[in-house]
Formats: sequence, structure tokens, C-alpha cells
Amino acid sequence: MKVPDVVGYAKTLPNVVYAENNLYTCSNDTQERIKEKIKEHQLNRVVVASCTPRTHEPLFRNTIREAGLNPYLFEMANIRDQCSWVHMHEFEKATIKSRDLVRMAVAKARLLEPLQRQSVPIVKSALVIGGGLSGMTSALEIANQGFDVYLVEREKEIGGNLRRIHYLLNGEKPQQELKTLITKVKENDRIHLFTEAKIETIEGSIGNFKTKIAINGDSREIEHGSVIVATGAKEYNPTEYLYGQHERVLTQLELEQRLAAGDGLLKSIGGNPRTVVMIQCVGSRDDERPYCSRLCCTHAVKNALKLKELSPTTNVYVLYRDIRTYGFKESYYTEARQKGVVFIRYDKDQKPGVSKNHDGLRVDVYDQTLGIPVEIATDLVVLSTGVVPHEDNKTIAQLLKVPINSEGFFLEAHMKLRPVDFATDGVFLAGLAHYPKTIEESIIQAQAASAKAATILSRESIELEGNISQVADENCDGCAYCVDPCPYKAITLLEYMREGAIKKTVEVNETVCKGCGCCQATCPKKGIFVRGFKLEQIGAQVDAALGVT
Amino acid sequence: MLPHDTQGKKVGAVLIVGGGIGGMQAALDLAACGIKVYLVDNKPSIGGVMAQLDKTFPTNDCAMCTQAPRLVEIGRHKDIELITMSEVERVEGEPGNFRITLKKRPRYVDINKCTGCGLCFPSCPVVMKNEYDLGLSDRKAISILFPQAVPNKAAIDRREERPCKAACMDACPIHTNALGYVKLIAEGKFREAYQLNRDVNPLPSICGKVCFAPCEEACNRGEMDEPIAIRQLKMFVSDLVNIDELPIPQITKTGKKVAIIGAGPAGLAAANDLSLAGHEATIFEAKPEPGGMLRYAIPDYRLPKDVLQKEVNYIQRLGVEIKTGVEVGKDISLAEIRKNHDAVFIGVGAQGGMKLEIEGERLPGVTDGIRFLRDLAMGQKVRVGKRVAVIGGGNTAMDCARTAKRLGGEDVKIFYRRSRAEMPASAEEVEALEKEGVHIDFLTTPQRFLSERGTLTRMECIRMKLGEPDAGCRRRPVPIPGSNFTVVVDTAIAALGQHLETDFVKELGLPLGKNGTIVADPKTGGTNIEGIFAGGDVVTGAAFVIDAIALGKKAARSINRYLKSEPIEVQEEEKKPQKLTLDEVALLKRRFPTLKRMVMREEPAKKRITDFREVAIGFSGEEAVKEALRCLAGQIEGCILCGECERRCDAKAIDYVQKEETVELNVGAIVLSPGYESFDAKGKQELGYGRYANIVSALEFERILSASGPYSGKVLRPSDQKAPKRIAFMQCVGSRDVERDYCSSICCMYATKEAIIAKEHVGEDLDCDIFFMDMRAFGKGFEAYYERAKELGVNYIRCRPASVEEIPESKNLLIKYLVEDEKKVSREYDMVVLSTGVAPPHSAIKIGKTFGIALNRFNFCQTSIFKPAESIREGVYVAGPFTEPKDIPETVMQASAAASKALSLLKETRGSLIVQKEYPPEREIAGEEPRVGVFVCH
Repeated sequence: MKVPDVVGYAKTLPNVVYAENNLYTCSNDTQERIKEKIKEHQLNRVVVASCTPRTHEPLFRNTIREAGLNPYLFEMANIRDQCSWVHMHEFEKATIKSRDLVRMAVAKARLLEPLQRQSVPIVKSALVIGGGLSGMTSALEIANQGFDVYLVEREKEIGGNLRRIHYLLNGEKPQQELKTLITKVKENDRIHLFTEAKIETIEGSIGNFKTKIAINGDSREIEHGSVIVATGAKEYNPTEYLYGQHERVLTQLELEQRLAAGDGLLKSIGGNPRTVVMIQCVGSRDDERPYCSRLCCTHAVKNALKLKELSPTTNVYVLYRDIRTYGFKESYYTEARQKGVVFIRYDKDQKPGVSKNHDGLRVDVYDQTLGIPVEIATDLVVLSTGVVPHEDNKTIAQLLKVPINSEGFFLEAHMKLRPVDFATDGVFLAGLAHYPKTIEESIIQAQAASAKAATILSRESIELEGNISQVADENCDGCAYCVDPCPYKAITLLEYMREGAIKKTVEVNETVCKGCGCCQATCPKKGIFVRGFKLEQIGAQVDAALGVT
Repeated sequence: MLPHDTQGKKVGAVLIVGGGIGGMQAALDLAACGIKVYLVDNKPSIGGVMAQLDKTFPTNDCAMCTQAPRLVEIGRHKDIELITMSEVERVEGEPGNFRITLKKRPRYVDINKCTGCGLCFPSCPVVMKNEYDLGLSDRKAISILFPQAVPNKAAIDRREERPCKAACMDACPIHTNALGYVKLIAEGKFREAYQLNRDVNPLPSICGKVCFAPCEEACNRGEMDEPIAIRQLKMFVSDLVNIDELPIPQITKTGKKVAIIGAGPAGLAAANDLSLAGHEATIFEAKPEPGGMLRYAIPDYRLPKDVLQKEVNYIQRLGVEIKTGVEVGKDISLAEIRKNHDAVFIGVGAQGGMKLEIEGERLPGVTDGIRFLRDLAMGQKVRVGKRVAVIGGGNTAMDCARTAKRLGGEDVKIFYRRSRAEMPASAEEVEALEKEGVHIDFLTTPQRFLSERGTLTRMECIRMKLGEPDAGCRRRPVPIPGSNFTVVVDTAIAALGQHLETDFVKELGLPLGKNGTIVADPKTGGTNIEGIFAGGDVVTGAAFVIDAIALGKKAARSINRYLKSEPIEVQEEEKKPQKLTLDEVALLKRRFPTLKRMVMREEPAKKRITDFREVAIGFSGEEAVKEALRCLAGQIEGCILCGECERRCDAKAIDYVQKEETVELNVGAIVLSPGYESFDAKGKQELGYGRYANIVSALEFERILSASGPYSGKVLRPSDQKAPKRIAFMQCVGSRDVERDYCSSICCMYATKEAIIAKEHVGEDLDCDIFFMDMRAFGKGFEAYYERAKELGVNYIRCRPASVEEIPESKNLLIKYLVEDEKKVSREYDMVVLSTGVAPPHSAIKIGKTFGIALNRFNFCQTSIFKPAESIREGVYVAGPFTEPKDIPETVMQASAAASKALSLLKETRGSLIVQKEYPPEREIAGEEPRVGVFVCH
């Protein structure tokens, strides 16, 4: 486009006292130049017409701040993305559009006001909900980073599901690790452990939460700057395959318990089992729980290998749909096949049947690979049961105003790049509460959540954005239209006495508000607005766009 | 040197190796906690593999849109220092206090000056495979890997020393980037080659045909075997390009007016450059057509008029006005021109033919060469007799003789007073002339012309011998007394040289030099009158076209400075072309085979003398490429140091002399996140990758899907760039096999994603078959994604086909496989995508050694279940696929976990090394009228 033409045009706009053309407005020397020009021409508003505010607004705001101007006295016209790029072959038209955008930006800039960023002090401690592996790991990490932690566990004992894991594929000893971990947690001065405790209320927001905990009928209030949700999950309790009706139908965790106990298993069936059949995807990948529980394939392989180790002559069959031994777990699947574990693939629509057979059991399955029905007489049936979320998640979600997905797991802020964050600032997520995962993965997420908590706790205070909502009390009549649309739950309705009458109005929690503008768009009475995007400011921009002056 | 007092103390800084999404996450977390971060990457910019992805599963969000804000945040973060193109060489010290030694490769671009504008890219002549598109597209030797790159700074990919000294460029009076355009021709980029010429030379097609090519004389290849046919290559691209269709660059007008007197090469060159600089240039030309001697002295068989006209047209399209038929001094005075313009350039050339000053010269049938050629060019009837004598040994004499031959002269002879060795005409011209049957009588000079009945009949000559060398170092011819003889002639043409007609400048008092030349400063073209400049033959006396162009351009630069009120005289570096030493030549001969110079085809002599058709036919494309490939500069990979980017860079950021640097850092902890390599499917011969064009790796297909990819997001197959109708995806390539008994964890989902997106781009009719063993949709939202893909018509076939074959005619691919009931099926596909697995980074072993950490049997970093983000060395933490194949969120989590470990180790040091920013007090603006400043950039 013709940049000098746009510059010339800008000079004709009302209140524009200076305009110039830079080769690269973003370069360091231009930043210095802008600062000089602000001083030289006593500028009190700055418009940059160049690229996108997404990437460059912070830079220019900082520049004008360095020149002694409030950073919000800045407006940007994105003539690169919206003119030069999209209208690359239409010189003239791109130039005309650039002029329009500059005119709009100037119209708004004239009405810009200085805005202040609120600063909120941080309470340098964290609340960790859940005393399983993830919760304990998080608590310990945060304590090691030098902050106080309140670790809240609903059960009498901490340790969670890890208490039921007795051996691991690579030979590491989980119970020994658990013991060490529990000791470390209990001995750490910075960790304040509450067992048999229940969270009653959580109020406040990032940096300043207040939480009530009920412990043995007592109630305690704590203050903290951050929250980590590590409420864990449970084993699916099967209703299928004769579970609960036949003593020889077990879950993988139950089998593990017995294998670890040594003779327990063997006693109950009078010696080494001749045959064991494992059934995968019990309570997973079905219509009720369509998700994959991630762990069960590896769990089955682990227990199959353990069986083969303890009793090499035992026939082990694994009835599966897809074997999901991802990563380095694959080699154990290979090893299991090498050791004679037989894997038979069944289809979702042709699930295996389990029935009583004399004193043992009989499993019928249609082998998809061979294309024939197979009948197996077996001593044991082991169900690879899925992972299901706690019902408590709903309560915690409500208390913290964070979302859970349709499956009942907590929903992170962004699937890819913010897997331990909630959309609500200061609240993080770890372990099985997020999704089924291995020990290793739980520890990783717990440590990650601690790092996230540390990014808040290591600061003295938090600076909030300037462009957030503000209530115009004189216009607001408390109709509360804005309350529900707010995606951050930042608005509450309140009543107070004014001049002897009840006045209804809303209040914005500034630490939660992101300035998205939903409230302003909803309000029929100009009772709430986003600073820097007032109706008159946007209106001036629209008028300028339409050529109304 | 590191300060001693830091030894033993913990240091509040962390080194992160690898700038992918994992390294970025760790950097942001640590910096947010008050830890100084050094983020080291081997590449010129950070971003890792994620920057190459099109979409991400299972949400189909755009990868770059997700990642870009983080890239920007890192790039702007005051406490994160990016150290690119670097590798760690040594790690010493202990947890809490490590001393790191880095090797930093030169970027050849000053990172503090480069603005990332990209103006240097288009002109760079070296085309290389773009790694960002995995070689599916090209980039230049100077480039930025992708538009959102951080740091957004160019880097020059320089790999080898250039074997020649680029003497061609230094020998050319306008320093044409000959090695550059020859390189472009070698790449088949003919239009770009013309453009590179046009950028410095306003008359490339003219020079392609008639330049005396000092570049070839200087060409270092000439020392080895024969010089590159540089001029003919220029002619090849000029003939190929339709000048009329070339776009006109955007010009910002200055409002200044410059008059140019003379539309010859000097005037045209000056007008061209002044117009590009934004000045209004008007040329006054006495003749009816522009072009000067190019039009009126060079015959059509060497330079067809339409070629000239096209170049002139282009210059006119730049906004230059040419007023023909206006003779300055007669139709308009120089004073008047000067009054109406801000500056004047005089480039009237040398218009007059020199006389022999002997008896009979005024006879009909006797003429001078300049007039002879000019009359013909102006369409006047020019006749020659059967016997034609041309006197002189320069190019004009050759032109006259060859023209006479074409006009019907049967016996055309050249009489030259010295011997062949002293002839100023180019050897090429002499050779062509002799081929056409013109005889040269050496050491002969005419004494007088004799006539009968008022017409020329004979010419009396005298034989000469060579005496002592004269001032010009040529041996002076001395007549041999008594050797007189006469020859019978009907027409005699004296082509002795040109003289100047410069009387019109006298009115302003411009001093004239020897032979009527205008006196001008050789450095600037300035005369002793302010605002009047001169150049070309009018200053130097008759010279070559390229010299006139050079002087026109030089004057234009001076005028531009003058109009901008800058000092007119500047230091312009003049480099002399350098010869190779004998040793260097011997070395080159061993390194490169001898290759004969390509001989350009010409019209056969017998045929061509029947009319004025162009003699040169030129190279075919193939011949041109073959000839261009001989250029020594082009024998190397990467930058050839032609200097084009340096000339383009307004920021003066190019720094060819940068050297490898050693950087020392002191950090408290280390996070390793070097990422992974996509398995190289060439290792699986049976799958045909690398042999069959339409088999691509998944990452390549990712680029094909991407809007910023090689086909701008159109799904096309590489062999013919047609949209495929059937695509097969083959899972577990480089995973779950004997050598790699691990699962790569991400391939099932990315193949599903690629199939969904491909169908989205091509349409529902696209068949996507995914050959798999187990569908591993084990992550959050994955199973639903898999189900959705099936609903969208992605076809999953549970089978691992053993091989892929190509059908040579269609370049389609045939996959034979067994379905589960043991039936053999064979299916044809337009394209096959290999879901290549996650392999450890190439640098894994080196990293293992340098950092003293353990690797597992596959060369991934060894960790343990209860310490998943820790290496075996305390203080060295790890994240991402370096520890095990994993997807983006798991990488991001592990990176934060690694950051957490570093934070625990360094908790006392938080805030000790970060920058505290201070601002001046805020100015109160309440009550002020708005005073808006607008800053515009494009």
C-alpha cells in the first residue's frame, strides 16, 4: 500500500499533531524514536498502524510507558494483516482500507483514558486437595520450593490408589516408595496435613483464597494463594462377567493383591491355576464410558507376566480389543507374548461370555483374528476394569467454579498447552482427577502443577489487567442479566441500602475478570463496561468506520 | 572467566537445551518464578516440531495459532535469553552451580540489527531445500525458517568456502552479480536470474548481446579451462523473459525533477535509477528514436531494434519521459532546461565519425562508419558497391564490414594499419566477420582515394611495419617507404573512431577538455556547475556500453544525494578482480573436472549474410543450465558470498566475517528437552520411501496440509501436484519392530488427524485408509476422536502390509495386504503416508556424554518411574520425547515438572539474576486536549 499516503491522511485527522512513516515500527531504534516524538510533540495518545496487537501491543504499550505515558493511551490499527496481507494485489484498495482503519483508531484514541492496573498481594501458600500419589507429590514439591501447603485428604490414610500397587514392570518397588513419600510428607514442616477432612467452601481468587475445611466435626479456615486439585479416581466396580457372583472373578487390582500376598491366590483355588483369562476394556470404551482407561492393557500385561513368573505352566489368555501398551511399555507386551501369554482379539459388538463350569469358569469368545469362536475352561477370570472419576469431583468443581467434562473428569484450560491449568487463574490439576494415568504420569503432572503454583507463590503481588469490567453503579439496577453469561464467574449480584432503600447492583471480582466484554454486550442499561472499550469509545470507532463524524 | 565468588554458591539461572514446546514451557515457568533462563537451540530459531505441525489432535486446533503467542512471549521475555545455533560442549561443576561452555555457530547476520524484514530473501541467488517444509519447498541461503520464527532474524546458511574469487563481479563496471545469476540459471530460475540482472543493470538484454564482457575475461574458471559464457547466459535469460510483463515496483515520489540530455545507454541508465529513487526524470533526445549508439551504430544482426525498444519501454513504464527530436542547443537551450529542473545530466555520447583527413575523402562512395551505420538505422537508402573497403580495426569497422556484406558487397575487405594482435575489436567479432568471408589486410593504411569521372574507383595504400610502443602501449605503425599500391574499390568506409559534438554546453560556461569532452569529476560525475552532471562517452570519449551505463548510474547516485542535500562525494569501494594463484588453480583442477565451455549456436554464415537476421541463436534451456553449472562459485552448497543480501540490507545487518564463538554460562540447574527425530523411513527399503515420489512421511504430509506449507494447504501429491483420490496411511513405521520394540505413542492419533484434515481439504470423496495393528487411542478425548474419524469415513484396516510398490506409469502405489479372514487384497493409492515413529534426537549420544547422563537401550534418556523428570545426574532434569515418545501436553507437563525440580534446587536464588524494570513517573494528562501521534509502517 502507499504508506506515505496513509501518513498524509493521518495528519488531516482531528487531534493528530504528528504522523510519520517508519520502515519497521517494531525495531529497537523506532521505539526510541517514538519516545522522542512523544516528548517533542507532547503527545498524549499514540496510534501505531502496523501489525497485530496480539503480538505487538505489549511492546508499544511498554514503549509509551517508558516515555512517561499511561500504557493504555495506546491504540493499534492492524494494517498489515488486514490490508497488506489480505489485499496484497490491490494497492489502491488496500490503501483506502488502511486510511479507514487509521481513522477508526484515531477516533478511539482521542477518547482513551489512563487506566490503572490493580495490584493484589499474594498469600504464599497452597491448598492441595487429595492425598494420593499426586497430591502428596505436589505438596512435597511446593514445600521444597519454600512455600506452605495445606494437604487435605478425605480418607483416614494418605496414599490413595498407590496403596494397592505392589509391583511394577521395571522392578521398582512401589510400596517402599510410598512409605518414603508418606514419611517425607508427614515430616515436612511446611506441609499441614488434614486427613478425614472435607472441603466445605472455597472463596476468593488467585493469590487470595479462603477455604473452610471440616475435620472430625471441627471447622477450620485457611488462607492460600493457589489450589491444586488432585482428587484421584477409582477402580470401576463391574456388574458384568459374573463379578461379585463368582469368587473366581476378580479385578486386576484384586489379582495383584493376591499375587503380592504370595499364597492367598493359590490357596483359594487349591494350587497354581492351570488357566487364567483376562478380559480387557471392562467399563471402558463402551457406550456408558466411551473413554479408554489407558492403564488396563499395561496392568494386564504386568499381571500376566507376574503369573508366568510365579507359575510358568499357567495358561494366560488376554481377551482384548486393541493392546495399548504405548511407549516403552510395548516391550513388556512383546515379552508376554514370548512367554506364551495368548492374546485374543474380540470385538465390541461380540463381547466374551463368562459362565460357571463345574467348579471353574468357562469363557466364550469370538476370535476376530482367526474368525472362529473359542471356548476356554478357566480357573480364574480377571477383569481389567476401567478408571472412573470420583463423584466428589462435582462438588469440588462447584466450589472452585471449574469445569468437569461429560465423563466426570476435570477439564483443563487447554488440551495441548495448558494441561495442568484450569481456566480459572491460580487453580491447577494433577493426577487421576484429570484422566487415567500411570504412576509416572501422575508424578509428572503433580510436579508440573507445583511449578505452576510456584509461578504465583513466588511473586509478592499480582498485577491485574487494566482492561477489565467496571460497574457504572448509577446505571446498574441489578437486573443480573450479566451474571450468567460471564464465562469467568466474575460477577455477583448484591444488594445494599442506599438512601434508605434497597439498591441492587452487581460487583466485579477484578482478580477473575478477563475483560472479555460479555457483560457489556448483555447489559441493556449501560450499567457495566470494559475499561478501554467503553460504548462511547467503540461508538466513535464505528462512526469513523461509517464516515459519520 | 567466571567470578570466583560464584563457586560453590547456588546460581539463580537455568540452562535449557532445546527450544521446542517443552523447552519453551520450562523457560516460561522458571522465568515466572524469578529464575534467569538461557534457552539454547541448535537451529536459528526456536519452535521445535510443533511449529511444523498443521493441526493438533484431538481438537484440530491450528498448531501455529496455539504456539505463536508463546513464541512471542519467549521472544519478548526480559529474563529469557535465547542462544540459537548453539550447542553445549562442556558441563562442569555441581548441582546448583554448573559451568557451561557453548559453541555458537556464526549466523552471519547481526541479530541486534536485523529487523526480519525479509527484503534480502528474494534477491539471494542460492536456492536451497527448506527444512521447515522438509525439502518439499525451497528457501534461499539467507532465510528465516518460518514467518512466526523467534527470533525473527535472518540467518545465512554458509557451509563451504567459495572456490573462486568472484572476479566477474569485481571486473564489471556496475558490479553485476554474475555469480548470482549464473547460480540462478543453474537452478533453472531464469526469470529470477533476469531480475537479479535488472536490479543493477537497466539494460540487461542489450548487455547480453553486445557487452564486451570484462567478467568473462576475469572469470577464474578461465584459469582452469575456459571462462563461463556469462554474457551469453545473460542473453539467454533476457531473450526468455517477457520484459513487457514485468511488474513495476512501487515508487515513492520525491517531487524533484531531473533533465537528462541524451537517450543513449548513459542517459537511460541515469533516468532509470533516478526514477526508481522517486525523481521525475525527463530525457531530451535529438534523434527521432531513443537508444543513442545502441540504435544508430549497432546493426540489427547483433542487436535487434525490438530488443532495445522493450528495455526502453520498461524504463518509460517506470515513469521516465523521453522527448525525442528535441536537440538541446537548437530546439531548447540548456539554460532553459536547467531553470525548469532541479538537476541536469548530460550524456549525449560521441556522435560524430572521425575523418581520415586524406585526399579524396569527400568523394561520393567514401563515407565514415558512424554515418554509414546511422543512415542505415534511420531507414535511409544505403548502397554499397561490389568492392568495399573498410578502414579501421575496431568494433565499428567490423560492424561496417559485416553490414556491407549484408548490403550486397561481394568483395568486402578491412584495411588495418597494425597487426591482428593490436586490433581493438573483440576476437569474437573478428572471428564472425572472417566466417562471413571478409578479408582483413593488416599493416595497411590508405593514402588517398582516386576517382574517375567523379566516382571512387581506387584506393592507394601503403604498407606499415610496427615500431616502438606508443602511449597506449600498442606498437606504433610506421609506413614502409615505397610500398605503395592501389586496390580497386567502389565504396570506402572509414571507421576510425568517434568525436564529440558538445558545443551546446558552452552557453553555460562548462569547460571542455581534450577532443571536446566535458570535464566531470570521475568520482561523482559532477561538473563545475552545481546541479549539472555528465557521464558516458561525452566525458570519457568513445567507450563500451557497460562503461556508459556505469557512468550514468554513478551520476544518478550523485544526483540523488545532491537532491537530498547530502554530500555528493562518497567513498565508493573499488575492488579489483582477483586472479587465482597457480597453486589454487592446481587445487581446483584436482577438485573439479575440466569442462568445455558450451558453444552457443549461431545462424550459419552463408545464410545470415543474406539479411540482417540476428546471428546469435542462443542457448537452449538445457545448454544454459549446463553452462551455468560450470561456474565455480556454484559448486558449493549454501551461501556463495555474492553480497546481494548485504547490498539490500538497509539495517546493515549482514556480517560475513562473523566467527564461531565460545560462550560461557554459569547456571544452577539444567533442563534438557532436545525433542526427537522423526524416524527416517529410508531405513525401511521395502516401503519405498525415498524411491517413490508419492510416498511421504507423516511430517511431510503435515506440511502438505498446512496453509503455510509447500502447496499452501492444498493436498497435492509430490510427483505431479495433483489432488489425490486415495491415500493410505501406514502405521508403526519405525515403531513396534524388532530393533525398536517400543510404541511411538503419537502416530495413531496424528494419522487419524491427518486423515480427517485431508478429507476436510480435498472433500468427502477422498478415501483414507489407515493400516494399523492396534489403535492406540489412549489419551483424553482420543477414543471419541477415533470414533468420530470413523463416522467421517476414515477407513481403518487392521493389517501391517509388508511392502509398497509403485506403478511406474501412474506413479500410483500398490499395497497388497491380508484381511482378517486370510483373503489377499491389493489396492491402488495415489499417495501413501508413512506414520513414522519417534526416534531419539540425533544429538542424544553427544548429550549423554556432555551432560553425563544415562541413555536407555534405544538412546532415549533414562529416567525412573518415581523420578520421571530427572536424569541420573543431580541438577540435570529432562522433559519431552527425549525421555520417551509422547505428545504435546505430556511434553508440556514434563517440562513444568522439570522446572519444578529446578525450582526446588534453586529456591534460595529466586529473583537474584533477573532484570528489574524501572519506569519514569507517569505524566498526568487530565484536562489536556488529545494530541495524537500516528506511526505507520507496512
